Amino acid sequence: MKKIGLFLALALVIASCHSGKKNSVALSGAGSTFVMPFYTTAFQKYTPLTGVKISYGGVGSGAGIKSLKDRVVDFGASDAFMTDAQMAAMPAPVVEFPTCSGAVVMAFNLPGITTMKLTPEVLADIYLGKITNWNDPALAKINPGVKFPNLPITVVHRSDGSGTTNIFTNYLTKVSPEWKSKYGFGTTVNWPVGVGGKGNPGVAGTISQTTGAFGYVESTYAFAEKIPFASIKNQAGIFITPSFASTSAAGKGQMPQDTRIMITDSPDSAAYPIAGFTWVILYKEQHYNNRTLAQAQALLKLWDWMLDPDAQAVAQQIDYVPLPASVVALDKSILRTVTYDGKPILQ
Amino acid sequence: MDTSIFQRGKTETKSAHLVRSWKNKIFFSVVLLFALITISIVFLIIGTLVAKGYRQINWSFFTQVAPDTFDAMMANASGRLIPGGILNGITGSIFLVAIASILAIPIGVIIGIFLYENPHKRYANLIRDIADVLQGVPSIVIGLIVYLWVVVSVTKGYSALAGSVALAIMMLPLIIRSTEESMKMVPESLKEAAVALGTPYYKVILRVLIPSSFSGLITGILLAVSRVLGETAPLLLTTLGNSSVNWNLSKPISAVPLLIWQFYNDPNMVNMIWSSSLFLMAFVLILNILSKWIAAKKSIQ
Amino acid sequence: MNSDKITKYVLFVTSFIILIVTGGMLYSLIQGSLPSFHTFGWKFIISPEWNPTKGNEHYGALAFILGTIYTSVLALLVALPMAFSTSLIVAEYFRNSWFANVVSTCVDLLAGIPSVIFGLWGFYALRPFIVHIGLTQQGFGVFTAGIVLAMMIIPYAASLSNSVIMMVPNELKEAAYSLGATRLEVIWNVILPNARSGITASYILAFGRALGETMAVTMLIGNANIVPKGLFSMGNTMASVIANEFGEANGLHLSSLIALGLILFVITALINAAGKYIIKKFA
Repeated sequence: MKKIGLFLALALVIASCHSGKKNSVALSGAGSTFVMPFYTTAFQKYTPLTGVKISYGGVGSGAGIKSLKDRVVDFGASDAFMTDAQMAAMPAPVVEFPTCSGAVVMAFNLPGITTMKLTPEVLADIYLGKITNWNDPALAKINPGVKFPNLPITVVHRSDGSGTTNIFTNYLTKVSPEWKSKYGFGTTVNWPVGVGGKGNPGVAGTISQTTGAFGYVESTYAFAEKIPFASIKNQAGIFITPSFASTSAAGKGQMPQDTRIMITDSPDSAAYPIAGFTWVILYKEQHYNNRTLAQAQALLKLWDWMLDPDAQAVAQQIDYVPLPASVVALDKSILRTVTYDGKPILQ
Repeated sequence: MDTSIFQRGKTETKSAHLVRSWKNKIFFSVVLLFALITISIVFLIIGTLVAKGYRQINWSFFTQVAPDTFDAMMANASGRLIPGGILNGITGSIFLVAIASILAIPIGVIIGIFLYENPHKRYANLIRDIADVLQGVPSIVIGLIVYLWVVVSVTKGYSALAGSVALAIMMLPLIIRSTEESMKMVPESLKEAAVALGTPYYKVILRVLIPSSFSGLITGILLAVSRVLGETAPLLLTTLGNSSVNWNLSKPISAVPLLIWQFYNDPNMVNMIWSSSLFLMAFVLILNILSKWIAAKKSIQ
Repeated sequence: MNSDKITKYVLFVTSFIILIVTGGMLYSLIQGSLPSFHTFGWKFIISPEWNPTKGNEHYGALAFILGTIYTSVLALLVALPMAFSTSLIVAEYFRNSWFANVVSTCVDLLAGIPSVIFGLWGFYALRPFIVHIGLTQQGFGVFTAGIVLAMMIIPYAASLSNSVIMMVPNELKEAAYSLGATRLEVIWNVILPNARSGITASYILAFGRALGETMAVTMLIGNANIVPKGLFSMGNTMASVIANEFGEANGLHLSSLIALGLILFVITALINAAGKYIIKKFA
């Protein structure tokens, strides 16, 4: 037995040394699950092109920021932009830039019903716990012709801190003064009602498995599991179905220089009101923790490529919305402010 | 002990005897029923995994790394199998568990022997209590502690080493307790005979104690390995995952349970969950059969 | 110094490792949870309100402490007869037969099923069944989580029991049989008294596992941060809250989560002490 152990130890030491010799650059990142399908797919396209290996962990937006703060990853990914307070808590200045946008859909599970219209007031009342049954007259009023059953509403929300929750609750604070004063918005809030599901799939799975359930998920998950979702009345008073076009319309507005923008409840008449960007965060000065210039260059080149048409096309293939050209230009200028020993890395 | 029940013979009436034998039969039936329920749970779960996962298992499942979302989506849309496999997870799991075993087994066995040798000393009792406490610490807590100790301070990044340390900490108490319990089963006479012959103490341990409690040791180690093979929570905080095969201790690494978590987090990959789980279970089953075979071969009759 | 002394010394020194690991863990947990205890004091343990929203943050652990205890106790009550039965089959009734092999292999396999898979199975198979027989409206809650937890801890409850039951000296059993005892009476009057401490120890082990189980519970208990009102009410456990919120947490929130970890640690230690006391008293 001892011999086996020794042999294994020896083999592992040899293996470790062996792999250490191949001096290929490896990058790591962590964060959002909302955008994980896009990143992992694009990264697998990128590795054969350059030989740079990237590992990405879908651990949640907040955890991604924390990993970057602890300097254990090269980049963090979050669906909630960093607040000034969060920025101040970081050990060094950081830059953040959006990489794509996506929609949060209101999914439901009612036998025989595939379409539904919702107004912001009714949506907020369901999450406030004021509307508790599908046969509520308020629902029937906005959905003439739809036969709602007498069935309690099982409200579903996220149990883990999440960027998806941040987008959804941000929308609720904009359309419901009561929600704003009682619960506010953030990656975790103190829900008055409902069941918690872990991760987007936890919520999607709960909805698809529970008759009478209602909840919010990132659109990719509803599309993939073929769960029906509601069209929402936007600021202009039009009921809008989440789609590529309506999510794009939500993101069409003017992007501020620091890229910190929420695009919920957009005034655009074609816009779907519950949508959001997702950000990547890097340290502005890349020379820390004995990092090499090669590693910093690889990191910057990766994100430069992720903003190019090739990678943005991947986003569209899996139901995310690519960035408008103006935002890509802004992002690229932000990337060029990142330095190594004070010198810009990308020219 | 109530000895009256053993006084059979002429004092016991026939009806009382009948009642006793019926009680015996009913008890046996209940025990059998419960045991069958337990077995059927295992078969139910395995059945679910096989029914949902068998289609995905083929040669490429073991020889290719995990697919990306887009490939999976295209495959689902056209009704084909999801391409790719779990090679990065398999190699990662083997690597992590091997390193964790190298760390935990020698230490665990030695501490187990220490407890066995000093059964009633106050200090040994303290160590035993501590092992039991460590046993109850949730894996997620171990994960976050190892994150603070190893990921942030030692490897300055998510790494295979951090994952191995977390798994080793989880294996330790199990190995310690099973070592002690199986040593207790070794007949005193064997040990005393060796000591009487003037055999050095360490030889008594290596030649008598360990071989004669070997099957118990293996069972304990196996339980520990089975337990950590399927751990997700601590690995999420320590090794992060890796889309390619990695043999470097200081870099992120994947593992089968991490891949399962990743597939669960991606609606296009749901089909991969079941095949990966099936693989994990088969792996445990093979380990199990192997250890039973070793134990049968080695155990002193 | 002779070799025997050196051997003893090596054994003794190695035992420090587990002291250092556990002590360090406890130290890190205490250090991490200080801010929370400073802010809330004893209220942390008796307050059921858990609100992470920035601006009106307040943390109390009561709901999770109760949720953890409810699910684990239920799991133990369900697992106990199951584990005891499998042990009797393996170590007594069908000792050394193919059937015992099948049963013990199944129990070992049960230990090899990852928590995530139990969660998925509970989610896709058990939950609809619970809804179907009308126990709860959506199948989440203490009951569902407890049942799945019970399955998960059977191997731990059975692991030591098997070996201690096998250890009961044959002479004692033979003696009882020769006096005309039935098998049940032998189990009750010979095996149990002889194996009691080992069996109790394995149940404590199992209970410890149940307390800290994360992934499966979080998928089934409903993750509602409330005090469970009963068996079919939703709730949350300490481990599950840590898993759900650790990633996002900063400052007071993080400190409160680490405090939950510390409480879990302490509860485990207390249960151990109680178990040991029981063994001492009745063995």
